[in-house]
Amino acid sequence: MPSPAAQPLAGPPRRPWLTQKRTDALSAYALVAPFLALLLVFNLYVFARGLHVSLTDAQGINDGDFIGLQNYKDVLWADPLRTVDFYRAVRTTFLYTLGCLATQVPVAFVLAYVLNTIPLPRIRAVLRGAFFLPVLINTVVIALLFRMFFNKDQGIINHVLGLLHLPSNTDWLLHSEWALPLLVLVSFWQWTGFHMVYFLAQLQTIDPTLYEAARMDGATPWHNLWNITLPLMRPAFTFVMVTSAIGGLQMFDLVFMLFPNATYGPGGVAKTLVAFIYDQGFSQQFLTGVASAAGWITFLIIAAVSAVQLRLLGLGRQGEA
Amino acid sequence: MTKPLAPRRIPPLTPWQWAGVALLCLVGLLYLYPLLWLLDSSFRPAVDIFQFPPILFRDLPAALRGYTLGSFRSAFGHWHVGWAFFVSVIVTGSGIALTLLVTSLCAYAFAYLEFPGRRALFALILGTMMLPMTTMITPFYQVLRSLGLTNNLLGLIVPYSVSAFGVFLLRQYYIKIPRSLMECAKTEGAGHLRIWWSIILPLSRPALAALAIVQFRGIWNDFLFPMIILRSDQLYTLPIRIQVMDSQNFNKPYEAIISAGFITALVPMVFFLLFQRQFIEGLAGGLKE
Repeated sequence: MPSPAAQPLAGPPRRPWLTQKRTDALSAYALVAPFLALLLVFNLYVFARGLHVSLTDAQGINDGDFIGLQNYKDVLWADPLRTVDFYRAVRTTFLYTLGCLATQVPVAFVLAYVLNTIPLPRIRAVLRGAFFLPVLINTVVIALLFRMFFNKDQGIINHVLGLLHLPSNTDWLLHSEWALPLLVLVSFWQWTGFHMVYFLAQLQTIDPTLYEAARMDGATPWHNLWNITLPLMRPAFTFVMVTSAIGGLQMFDLVFMLFPNATYGPGGVAKTLVAFIYDQGFSQQFLTGVASAAGWITFLIIAAVSAVQLRLLGLGRQGEA
Repeated sequence: MTKPLAPRRIPPLTPWQWAGVALLCLVGLLYLYPLLWLLDSSFRPAVDIFQFPPILFRDLPAALRGYTLGSFRSAFGHWHVGWAFFVSVIVTGSGIALTLLVTSLCAYAFAYLEFPGRRALFALILGTMMLPMTTMITPFYQVLRSLGLTNNLLGLIVPYSVSAFGVFLLRQYYIKIPRSLMECAKTEGAGHLRIWWSIILPLSRPALAALAIVQFRGIWNDFLFPMIILRSDQLYTLPIRIQVMDSQNFNKPYEAIISAGFITALVPMVFFLLFQRQFIEGLAGGLKE
């Protein structure tokens, strides 16, 4: 800010050191201090501490000794017991995330597009609300609901399949090949409405005169979708893809609760990366060091995926920070 | 509610369009089936819950007569769901309050004050916006332990308030507030805290509401962090209480689980129906800017 010209003050300034500029800066630091202190302790320091612990053989409340990169080696290649589990978790997590993106994003866009064409605002708002509602529900509750629906004998899924004269005695939760599709399906139900809201918000920012003009030029609706709507929707697509990948790669609650007794699916086939970290850090052995190393590896994976996505999709519009 | 202007001109729909709208409404209804089932089942005696077709479709009069509060009695009486609800309300309420306090003070400085390091600090805050904290559950637990905050509700409430998104959202809103209002207050001798409290906060109510809603959804539904932090039973939040009920392998209390789940789901749904616009705006807020 350009400071205003010196004001003609009566008499000499009383506190020459404490200028307006300096008091403003001091107040600013005081105002940002509480938030920054909390950010420092509960976010940044946690990551630093994790890095430090990952280089030790800490276990439970025991701080352990410095062992270099041994935990990383164990997880990534040296300890067969762990590597098998870890790479299966990597595979599960990636397949789950890909499945989520591939199902939710296109359907959410189509839904938003269709809702946006409904000229009845009331009905549009009600439908938007209906598809959005699952977003608000606790994943624990959703997982338990769907566990009941997938039940072999008493679940609605098998009953409906029976009504349709399809094979209806699958025990969905006990077949390892079904574990991932079920997780993707439940997440589809939970999150599609969330993405739809973003798409809808962005669709409504598009200037309708663009379509008017295109119509004058004889463009078909298909043309409009391809040449006007989709390019203008790119920020929403970028945002939705990046945030839902970040969320999907951290999936835990759903897999922890959908399968009974925290088994992560039959034989643990659906154990995700965060579930792997949780198991190492908080189950019988409390291998804090190993869990921290796995945490840092997962963090780097997520960061890398986001970076690649942003590269491919182009940066979303940034606020003028 | 729109203003009662001349009736909005709605282009007449063709029969095909009506059919499409009807179809969409049907899909919407089916989409909500799990929630409708939850609503119905939480008022049913345990024996009626797992029947197909649902008793509601089979024998309507009997179904209506059969509604009961039995499962709630079991949930509240035997499983302490009422206490867990109370704990959840305390954690969510204080988490939101603390978030609004620290983020709005911080956003005020970034919006209105000039100070060395301002840009760098703001970039730092934005950079932490998407940090995947779940990958750091073990060091997080250790940090809390060194602060004596494990098995302590403060160990949830205080970390929840670190919302970089909140600082960003509020700052974007604050810079749109006309500066002349603040200049006026300044000439009257008001300090920054005073201006923040009596001018900025009241004027930024929509943004505060949006942030409160985002935080509400996140805190009310959080599961992993309460699970690792809380040890004693009387500190369990609702999702943890439900998980504990579900981990009974012998005589699993299905009806109590369902009614506790219903209560957990009901709270955000009621808020949503009351504040639909703020919900949507709050969640879409990250996109707009």
